[in-house]
Amino acid sequence: MLQWIAKNQRPIQIGLAVGGVILVIILLAFLPASVIQSSIRLSTPFVLGSLAALLASRAGVLNLAIEGKMLLGAFIAVVAVYRPGLPPGEPSIDPLWGVLAASLSGGVLGIIFAVLYLRIRINLIILALALNLFVAEGTVYFMRVWFNSFGTLADPSINGLPTIEIPIIDDVPVIGSLLSGYNIIVYLGWVLVFVIWLIMYRTRFGRHIRAVGENKEAAESVGINVTRVQIFALTISGMLAGMAGAFLSLGVLSQFLENMTAGRGWIALTVAIFALNRPLPAFLTSLFFGLAEALALYMGRLDNVPIPPNLLQMFPQVATLGALILVALRIRGSEIIKRQTFAREFGKEIDNLKRTVVGNNDRAEQTAGD
Amino acid sequence: MNRFQSALENLSIPVFAILLGLLVSAFFIAPAGLSPIDTYTRLFCEGFGPRGCDTFGDLLVVDIENEDTGAIEHHIGLFYGDRGHSLAIVLEQATPLILTALAATVAFKAGMFSIGMDGQFALGAVVAVFIGYWLPAQVYGVFGIEDPDTLSGPLWWVMHLTMPTIAIGAAMIVGAVYSWVAGILKVKLNVNELISTIILNAIAVQFVTYLINGPMRADMNNIARTERIDDTAWLVPFTRGILADVDWFSGSRLGIGIVLALLAGLFVWFYLWRSTAGYEQRMTQGARLFAGFGGINTGRAVLRAMLISGALSGLAGAIQVLGVERRIVDGFVLSGTGFDGVLVAILARESVVGLFLVAVVFSGLQLGSINLQFGNIPRQLGGIIIALTILFTAMEDFFRRTITRLQIRMKSVGSKNSSLVDTPASGGD
Repeated sequence: MLQWIAKNQRPIQIGLAVGGVILVIILLAFLPASVIQSSIRLSTPFVLGSLAALLASRAGVLNLAIEGKMLLGAFIAVVAVYRPGLPPGEPSIDPLWGVLAASLSGGVLGIIFAVLYLRIRINLIILALALNLFVAEGTVYFMRVWFNSFGTLADPSINGLPTIEIPIIDDVPVIGSLLSGYNIIVYLGWVLVFVIWLIMYRTRFGRHIRAVGENKEAAESVGINVTRVQIFALTISGMLAGMAGAFLSLGVLSQFLENMTAGRGWIALTVAIFALNRPLPAFLTSLFFGLAEALALYMGRLDNVPIPPNLLQMFPQVATLGALILVALRIRGSEIIKRQTFAREFGKEIDNLKRTVVGNNDRAEQTAGD
Repeated sequence: MNRFQSALENLSIPVFAILLGLLVSAFFIAPAGLSPIDTYTRLFCEGFGPRGCDTFGDLLVVDIENEDTGAIEHHIGLFYGDRGHSLAIVLEQATPLILTALAATVAFKAGMFSIGMDGQFALGAVVAVFIGYWLPAQVYGVFGIEDPDTLSGPLWWVMHLTMPTIAIGAAMIVGAVYSWVAGILKVKLNVNELISTIILNAIAVQFVTYLINGPMRADMNNIARTERIDDTAWLVPFTRGILADVDWFSGSRLGIGIVLALLAGLFVWFYLWRSTAGYEQRMTQGARLFAGFGGINTGRAVLRAMLISGALSGLAGAIQVLGVERRIVDGFVLSGTGFDGVLVAILARESVVGLFLVAVVFSGLQLGSINLQFGNIPRQLGGIIIALTILFTAMEDFFRRTITRLQIRMKSVGSKNSSLVDTPASGGD
């Protein structure tokens, strides 16, 4: 199986791409536009989260604390705009400040994570688990202590992010309804995919990040400050994750729920792994996961669906597991190809070497015999 | 002396970490408008103290006038329950924690950072409950017994021995198989076990929730729940059996489970430190390639560890439902016992003996912080303390380095001074 995958990588890739296009056409034709739209909207935390994950992975740190950073972002975003007892006429705080506060808090947590990991050298996994636990418990704790609210933090003064209709695109018949009418973070996510790609492949800093991730020692030996690059990458990664959290709290519900990320950070991590840490594939994979979530929601709303809701909620998780296995097969396949190529080339070299050495020996013996 | 010193050092680091965790957590109590010392006294008193610990006297102790004598008597508030010493309840809650922590330790000791105990725990519990109510009913059907209470003679003994055994065995097998999935994905395809186990957990939890709300739902109770297990499959708590009259235990459902946990601890210790297989897997953790060159089948060692780990988590789930809960109520699988086990294993730094102590402290903290809610402190305080303690435990190397650096500096300062003192003397020679 592995051999087969390894040998037919190109056709499989083309097949997957064609299958994906067909799937998209079928979905566009059969599903109501609202599902497509909600799947694009719901993919946003995955887009931002996977960008955060891949940036850190490219810098050589598996950022397992994305879940915690997202949750903190979601909490801080709501806290920043929370003004209880505001009279109806008074203007409430622009939710954009909430988004800004969320990404800043994510960045601060990113710096803390980086310093604890790189300077104090705590085990990465233990550090991530502890930070995630700390944020999960801490947000609920402060929700109760500061705001005296249990389970949810909601208030009329919290304004959600407004939806923005893009002027020209909005008028295009089919695509208009799909590409326009989201809140600012969705568009920001799309822009950031491009920006991150630009940073990673077209700037000095991006080259440094990739060099550090590929080989730390080599990067250090050519004068790159590895620690600084990693701290920067983790900070940006934290800011992205915090923004994803702000989307969850201000972009969808305008309130904060206990543990509202519900494992989305981990899925974002899988998305990045599946996309082999490249921005554009990560974006497309995120769309798929958004679709899975939207489908589960949509089918849960339908009346005569034979599948119970709990099984539907399993769907994104099973898809993630399938994706993990697929990507592992793919990596294993390319490893096998590399090994075979290496063995072939190396075999040739050995043969050459043998021929020369043995030939020389023969010649030497001949000359000695003479 | 050297051995004593190292043991002292090993003990002092967790204690230091816990103290530091408590110290830093104090900054979180202050915003709630309460004094940290007061809160901690209550926390530990509620978590580890005897019945009717006076900390919440104003809230929980009810003064009732005795009708006969007219004297005022203090009674513990009703909702507080009729409970004995907190430690009995702590031990009851620590039992599944110990087992999941053992499971985590076995997996960690093979170099697998598996945190899939939650899923295995949930699946084990659901299988144990299913067998607990389904199988006895089948047996009654075969033997034509109408009323299970009339069961007597050899059949009673056979049923009471086999039913729990079968239920526990099945739960262990299911847990082991589920854990094996993550293992085989790691060994064959090099899938990151942390991510795969998190996803497997989510799948298992959703699946079990579906089972409880769907096919296994017993009645139209507000909160979905399964049928109660048959009495023959019940691991009867001590308070209903041999220790019925001991006050210390009253209110706890501590049972045969703690004995099983102790046995499992012995087994794991023996397996890890005294058997070839354990040596192989520890070797795999230390240096996978080296172990492979040494002739160890590292893949098999990892899979064996994952099987044992899953079986232990399944056992934890089975004990929790057969001995304590007796049925699964919706929300039971979200209790996070498996993940808490991982945290215990991390805090105990993968030591089998340490893990028992940590599990008890951990459950005590949880119990104490739940009861703290009466005093307006959210129970999440316990989680904050634990998270910080884990951080400080993981900083061990940093502390050691700092201490060594300080020692060296002190020594160099000291030697400078002493050289100043010494020079005239040596000059006098």
